[in-house]
Amino acid sequence: MTKIIVITSGKGGVGKTTTSASFAVGLASRGFKTAVIDFDIGLRNLDLIMGCERRVVYDFVNVIRNEANLNQALIRDKHIKDLFILPASQTRDKDALTLEGVSTVLDELSKTFDYVVCDSPAGIERGAQLAMYFADSAIVVTNPEVSSVRDSDRMLGLLSSKTKRAEEGREPLTEHLLLTRYSPKRVARGDMLSLSDVNEILAIPLLGVIPESQAVLRASNSGDPVILDKESDAGQAYLDAVGRFLGEKIPHRFIEEKGNWLKRLLNFKEKETV
Amino acid sequence: MTVSGLEVEQKACFQFRANFLPCTVLQITRYDWEALEQQLVSAISNAPPFFTDLPVIIDLDKIKSLGVLNFIKLKEVLLANKMIPVGIRGGSEEQHLSAALVGMPTLTASRLSTAETKPKKKEEPIARLTKLVTTPIRSGMQIYARESDLIVTAAVSQGAEILADGNIHVYGSLRGRVLAGVQGNLQARIYCRTLDAELVSIAGYYLTKEDILNSPLGDGMKQIYLENEQVRIDVL
Repeated sequence: MTKIIVITSGKGGVGKTTTSASFAVGLASRGFKTAVIDFDIGLRNLDLIMGCERRVVYDFVNVIRNEANLNQALIRDKHIKDLFILPASQTRDKDALTLEGVSTVLDELSKTFDYVVCDSPAGIERGAQLAMYFADSAIVVTNPEVSSVRDSDRMLGLLSSKTKRAEEGREPLTEHLLLTRYSPKRVARGDMLSLSDVNEILAIPLLGVIPESQAVLRASNSGDPVILDKESDAGQAYLDAVGRFLGEKIPHRFIEEKGNWLKRLLNFKEKETV
Repeated sequence: MTVSGLEVEQKACFQFRANFLPCTVLQITRYDWEALEQQLVSAISNAPPFFTDLPVIIDLDKIKSLGVLNFIKLKEVLLANKMIPVGIRGGSEEQHLSAALVGMPTLTASRLSTAETKPKKKEEPIARLTKLVTTPIRSGMQIYARESDLIVTAAVSQGAEILADGNIHVYGSLRGRVLAGVQGNLQARIYCRTLDAELVSIAGYYLTKEDILNSPLGDGMKQIYLENEQVRIDVL
């Protein structure tokens, strides 16, 4: 049974595409045949993050308009043989996507793939709604700041009402929270919402916390998803998150400031006296 | 040729069918024959085709205290103006009897005024179904409990809006906008465990988050209600 996962957030720039790329790599490297689709028509980015931008010939919109078949448009990943990328069209806009077209492509992919990862565009318009419509699971990517949290909350509202599962009254999709760009140091200083603040507002199961990391930017620029950088904290955090998504029990990491227990203790004391 | 009983039954000559036809009601508000006749004629002259062969029920509810009326005259007036009086409704028992004598049946016996009938047992009060929401109300969602109370057992997020014609109870954290008595019920109240709402309103009178923050009340269950056109918040 193919599982369709949507990576969504509402707000832009929080790490949807980074997460889509790393998640797709993580699932494929465990032996699951995986396709990752860029729904951000007109603002194509996934191909860059996956490092396949020079091999794009046909795209998602070409397939929807029957200008190419699916196999012609799917790009095989350079690292992992079970991973395929369906790039977005850069010259069209999101109105080029149709419900029937997306449905046909997903049905076709469901014949051979184990997982289909849908990289949603920002916003709540057509592109984002189509990306989530057929999903079985949703990973809501959130930064620890108020506007991102509110947008994610809005997204969760749409996920519970504007998906095929919701409309057909089937079992609702599973929701996962992925907190990205988390910096325990800045949380301690009070510059950032803490994990518990976010959890209290969104109240959905936590899939993982991805720490703020130089490795993410480095990975984007080189076109190798950060999950492949197994030395980096962000890479490890994504590996953990994929494991948890597959049902493994892995304790959460990167949620507290490294080492420095003395400083934490002092911080705690300070708070007490305030 | 013989006809079996079964066949006879199958070839029935009629059947009863429930049906609802539109029917005009002529409600008499003042018993003054001359004026009634005059006004009737002038009303009909405005649109004669509408009134031609129009079945009419005469409603006596407003003049039931007047006793026996001249139903023969009334019938004549209506027929002269091409209307067909089919019966009466409302009115007193006396009136029903005299109307029946001129061939106008009482169509809704249940409309007898309560003074003349034995006081009926009061109907069991039906509690309006309260709207219950158990899942989180997310930013951008709007929940409206029409003509009822609203109970929310989950959180109401910032940017969400909940409304009710009646009272509102929120047992999760309340961060959105909450409006009770939106159709103008001044008695409506809001109850919540944690008050962090963007706006609270009772029947259109409201407090914004700023107003709420300016008068901190501490922890505990809150009750929000209207007093002298002022929204008040109490700790229960």
